[in-house]
Amino acid sequence: MTVKTKARLTRRQFLKAAGLTAGATAASPLLSACGPAAPAGPVKIGVLLPYSAVYAELGNSIEKGMRMYLEEKNSEAGGRKIELITEDEGATPDEATPKAKKLVEQDEVDLVTGIVSSGVLGALRDYFDQNKKLLICSNAGANQLSRQAKTPYIWRTSFTNWQPNWPVGPWAAENVGKRVFVSVPDYAAGHNMRDAFLNSFQAAGGEAVGLQLTPFPNIGDPAPYITEIANAEADFLYCFYSGGQAVTFLKAYGDFGLAGQLPLLSAGFMVEEDVLPAHGDYALGVRSGLHWALYLDNPENKTFSPTYQAKYDRTPDVFAVQGYDTGRVIVEMLNQTQGDTNVDKMIDVLGGISFASPRGPFTLDTATQNPKHHIYLRDVQTVDGAPHNVVLADLGEVVDPGDDSKG
Amino acid sequence: MATLKARLSTAPVWLIRHQRWALIAALAFACIYPYVVRLYFVTLAEDVLIFAIFAMSLDLLLGYTGLTSFGHAAFFGAGAYLLAYLTTRFGVTNLVITVPLVLLGTAMLAMLIGFFTLRTRGIYFLMVTLAFAQMLFSIAINWSAVTGGSDGLPGVPRPSIGIGPLSFTFDSRESFYYLILVCFLLTYWLLRRIVNSPLGWAFRGIRENEARMRALGYNTFRFKLASFAIGGAFAGLAGLLQAHSARIASPENLYWTMSGQVMIMVIVGGASTLSGPVLGAATVRLLRNFISSATPRWETLMGAIFILFVLFARRGIVGVLSDARKRFEAERPATAARPAEISESPQAEAE
Amino acid sequence: MEAFITQLLNGLVTSMLLFIVAAGLSLIFGLMDVINLAHGAFYLLGGYVALTVMEQSGEFWRALIYAPLIVALLGLIIEVVFLRRLYGRHRHLEQVLLMFGVALIVTDFIRATWGAFVESVPNPELLSGHVTIFNVQYPVYRLSLIGFGLMLAFLLWLFIERTRLGAIVRAGVSDAQMVGGLGIDVQRVFAAMFAFGTALAALAGVVGAPIFSLYPGLDSEVLILALVVVVIGGLGTLKGAFYGSLVIGLADTFGKAALPEFSRFLLFAVMAAVLLIRPTGLFGQKGG
Repeated sequence: MTVKTKARLTRRQFLKAAGLTAGATAASPLLSACGPAAPAGPVKIGVLLPYSAVYAELGNSIEKGMRMYLEEKNSEAGGRKIELITEDEGATPDEATPKAKKLVEQDEVDLVTGIVSSGVLGALRDYFDQNKKLLICSNAGANQLSRQAKTPYIWRTSFTNWQPNWPVGPWAAENVGKRVFVSVPDYAAGHNMRDAFLNSFQAAGGEAVGLQLTPFPNIGDPAPYITEIANAEADFLYCFYSGGQAVTFLKAYGDFGLAGQLPLLSAGFMVEEDVLPAHGDYALGVRSGLHWALYLDNPENKTFSPTYQAKYDRTPDVFAVQGYDTGRVIVEMLNQTQGDTNVDKMIDVLGGISFASPRGPFTLDTATQNPKHHIYLRDVQTVDGAPHNVVLADLGEVVDPGDDSKG
Repeated sequence: MATLKARLSTAPVWLIRHQRWALIAALAFACIYPYVVRLYFVTLAEDVLIFAIFAMSLDLLLGYTGLTSFGHAAFFGAGAYLLAYLTTRFGVTNLVITVPLVLLGTAMLAMLIGFFTLRTRGIYFLMVTLAFAQMLFSIAINWSAVTGGSDGLPGVPRPSIGIGPLSFTFDSRESFYYLILVCFLLTYWLLRRIVNSPLGWAFRGIRENEARMRALGYNTFRFKLASFAIGGAFAGLAGLLQAHSARIASPENLYWTMSGQVMIMVIVGGASTLSGPVLGAATVRLLRNFISSATPRWETLMGAIFILFVLFARRGIVGVLSDARKRFEAERPATAARPAEISESPQAEAE
Repeated sequence: MEAFITQLLNGLVTSMLLFIVAAGLSLIFGLMDVINLAHGAFYLLGGYVALTVMEQSGEFWRALIYAPLIVALLGLIIEVVFLRRLYGRHRHLEQVLLMFGVALIVTDFIRATWGAFVESVPNPELLSGHVTIFNVQYPVYRLSLIGFGLMLAFLLWLFIERTRLGAIVRAGVSDAQMVGGLGIDVQRVFAAMFAFGTALAALAGVVGAPIFSLYPGLDSEVLILALVVVVIGGLGTLKGAFYGSLVIGLADTFGKAALPEFSRFLLFAVMAAVLLIRPTGLFGQKGG
């Protein structure tokens, strides 16, 4: 016979458990967090950038650019010191969300900056909106954050995916050809870039003879797609790829002999300074639109670039500039609120912040909570023995329309 | 009565009582938890509990029925996507509607996949479950119109519950935590009932020797399918909670590395037990969280720990603890032979 | 017509690369009943080691020889120190789990040593540029890859079918215990073949690098695709790996051109179907 000694809950056990519970609750004020820092303490800024995984180099650049500006201002603004707390965004919302929560809930930062991936931005949008925490995004360009998904708590110092592509359309129609083949990866950013370009290109009389959506995030061997492009009757190719995809794509383009035969125009990220070393000579002759170029000729850039180069022993890129401008926006904002980190006060002064940046005239547009800046048509040429971006034309100031009317 | 007292006074009864106390205290602590610790730790606890549900569901297959599935993430992700679709496309947040739908949906998916995959065994079963999970992943990545492609489905709101005019939304941190805690406890309790029921014993029989079970007249295929469906449904529940917690359903939830991660939880914690996967989930998620802030090398650490367990501690943390306890008991001064039939809780039952 | 020929060549490039990976995977499984989940990681490691060798010495050929050797050594160590402890009829699943842990560590090691950014690998000097064949412009390197793959397939066939060691391997694939009963040191054969399979993965990584580049995450893609090949073609046979690679490589390439969204899904569907109907694959030898 089996004797079950499943001990039942005796009164003694229950009282002891209740006592433990009561004791724990009484002790809870000691266990829980200290109150928020006294107003005279430093401003705590959470920096959520990728330090591992695929976007690590971008995160690196952005942080360096930001730190460079802050150090120029002695890490001070509005009469308070600035303290940065960094966390790794990783590459996916799965990795980034806990870190964002840690910054906001455990470190209790006054505001958060960073975010390279649009996917992460999209996933965190509700979090910042509902927790009423300010996010100053220094990269992710998802259009909808300035359009239908806009929230007062998320501002950008970088760009919308629409901006670098739209002004290139009319320029291409006039200077390159009227028939384009478009190749982009099949995800939101890819679609954004394609739509922006086609919208103005077709309005300027151009036509799309082929549209290609390639697998994202990994294109694999680009050869089948290159073959398709080679056999189409186009005047030029317009594409957007970033990171590893850009490298394999451009290499295959060159290997198949298309580089000399079919002009390639792209969104600037494809041949930006961060990825040019990996491209090598395969990038020569690729023209692109972006809100900055290494050899952009204005006083701020002429100071910024060599200083950055000397300080960090690396070539600056557009991401470093975005980081630099983020630092400036934060400092200007805190100066205007005189150190007050109340979120509504900070938001109030953000719109309209304007200054001369290495990228040219920079204004934070109140309507789209995104920069108004110039887009430049660049060309990759050999300068100082290596491929770099020089400016062929200034396409003027470009402001995101705030809706999907222009792609 | 006298014999009962005599038996109660023998050997490790105090250990059993201790175990009860520890559990009660833990439960009490879990109840007051959100009021006692900082908000960030509440988030951590939610994460651990969700993955504990996920891991327990895999253990039903792996530990109790002997089905080494490398595609369990399929049901986790399916649950997350189903929920995200219901909330973002149809605006339904009422758990009274979403939970049954998701459970039903993932159970049916499990039965469909199981119908095909359970014809194979061993390594082949492992590979075919991997293949099916990858199919689901490629659907999620490519069918952007429905699944949002690589961006997933963001904008998932907090759940609500209600019948008729009565409704409650879990939008405060505390209430959402309690919801997850309740789901976890329910899952634990239900699974415990199942594994200790005749159904559960049939599962164990299949794990031990399927041929003999068939010789005894069991339709093992149906039982395996049942295990697959139940495990899949609970994984779907975990996915539902994950979508609400992260406010997004992403394709990573379906990738084979997620299947690998949950398998690590089960093995490290201890397969064939219910507390094992819970411990494993806590270990992996907390390790991931704290180590990754200190060094980016947490995956190496995770891999090394996993390898050590596979090689030297096959029954996981629970196995190690139970061995230690047995050794402790053996070394105690003999307090009379205790009747072999005193049944301890099923947690101690080893492979 | 030109497009078709070009795509055909593209498909053959993918096939040959897949073959080199799948051959190693298939042989290891055939002999040891272990699905080496770290096979993709070894592919990637081979590529990165080659990159370093090339940066140091500037020679592609050196990388071609050294990288597989180095990675094979790693494979040997893993087999002897870890895998061997898990021998036994009922422990194959544990071996699979072990290799999953190894994969995690190797990929993290790669990230720690070479960083997470994509690395481009240049074509070897001798094989750069393009030629015109069948009226199409085609890169020299890719053509030579096709040739390399075919040559390797022939060499492997020679080895398996015409040498004593190859006969032992074939016998081992059929029945490892019997081979042991014949007085042959099965453990040594296992160790050698595991190292060899690993070397093949690394070799594929080296020759594939100028086309696919190198980045964390590539290991997963390669592994998954190789698994599909091996399952469809046949576990444990070279013939299976060869024809399986041809089918998958061509299907993947033409699928990308024709219906890009469904091609991957179809591959897995076929894989699942084969596993259900003929678990040992089209040319598989082992009993199901």
